[in-house]
Amino acid sequence: MEAFEDLKSQWEGQSPSEIPEDGVQKIIEKMKGIKGKQRSTNIILALTVMVLVGFFFYISAYQFQTVMIGLLLMIVTLIVRIVIELASINTINKIDASKDATNFKTRLMKYYNNRVRVHYIFTPIIILLYCIGFVMLLPSFKENLSAGFYTYIWVSSIVLLIVFGLLIGNQAKKELHTLRELKS
Amino acid sequence: MQEYKPNFEKIYQENYQRVIRICMGYVKGDEDLAKDLTQEVFIKVWRQLNSFRNESSISTWIYRITVNTCLLQLRNKKFLKRADAIERLTEVEEEGHPSKENQLKQMYKCIDKLSKDNKGIILLELEGLPQKEIAEIMGLSHEAVRVRVHRIKNSLTKCVNNGSI
Repeated sequence: MEAFEDLKSQWEGQSPSEIPEDGVQKIIEKMKGIKGKQRSTNIILALTVMVLVGFFFYISAYQFQTVMIGLLLMIVTLIVRIVIELASINTINKIDASKDATNFKTRLMKYYNNRVRVHYIFTPIIILLYCIGFVMLLPSFKENLSAGFYTYIWVSSIVLLIVFGLLIGNQAKKELHTLRELKS
Repeated sequence: MQEYKPNFEKIYQENYQRVIRICMGYVKGDEDLAKDLTQEVFIKVWRQLNSFRNESSISTWIYRITVNTCLLQLRNKKFLKRADAIERLTEVEEEGHPSKENQLKQMYKCIDKLSKDNKGIILLELEGLPQKEIAEIMGLSHEAVRVRVHRIKNSLTKCVNNGSI
């Protein structure tokens, strides 16, 4: 029969972990890596938006109302989605981990509650608007593209929609799990 | 470019052991996962060192970051997967008198059964921190910590001896 004091002495008697000699250096390197990763993410996102906007002008979408509205819907929803994700990353990175645990947990739960709201309210609206935009473009695709390529476009879009739907669903499930764990 | 922080090396050396032990309590004693978590903790310490205002001792400040960083690992898939694998590995019970190592494993398993807050409290208590400091880290009153420490000590001891909380 162990008493708590025995448990405590067992805990204290654990063999000490070796302090990595290059620990500090690794931390500095990782910090540089994090900054570099953030920079590349921003560049990729900016390029994506530039390509979409460039495409909009390249095909002179503004000359055809349906194509313009369809393409604008797709571009705007994509930009909104990206902005929401970036804002979320920014919010979680800004939660001050040096505050006391109760304060930190409250902020973390608020963050995850907002994420759940994003998944259940904003994401379906965004996907719906994106799909509407895409469907509006279909007649123009049909008119201007070969039958084979047209079929390829809508079939691949359905596949992409399913894949992204599953990815987003998976992310939502993971964040709901985290929220439940935090409440436990 | 990161500015050089002359105190950091000293802070790292002085607090590493305690930080890694607290982290091990959050990952059922897996040293590799605890090392990764410890690195995360010290990355946050590095980042926020300039905002440290001496309102508490530097160690209290670091343990706050430790407890919060360990709480954040909940969202990390890598930690969840590894923790489940460890759970399966440690399910093999030893007959008769358990070895010291197995007793420690059992203790980690029992700590894992506690709620997130209670886990933080008991890990800091096991590290020998005064209850006033634990209260400061957890954001609870001294009295609340005193009562909770008493309860958690009982349930942890019961769990290590009987296998359930």
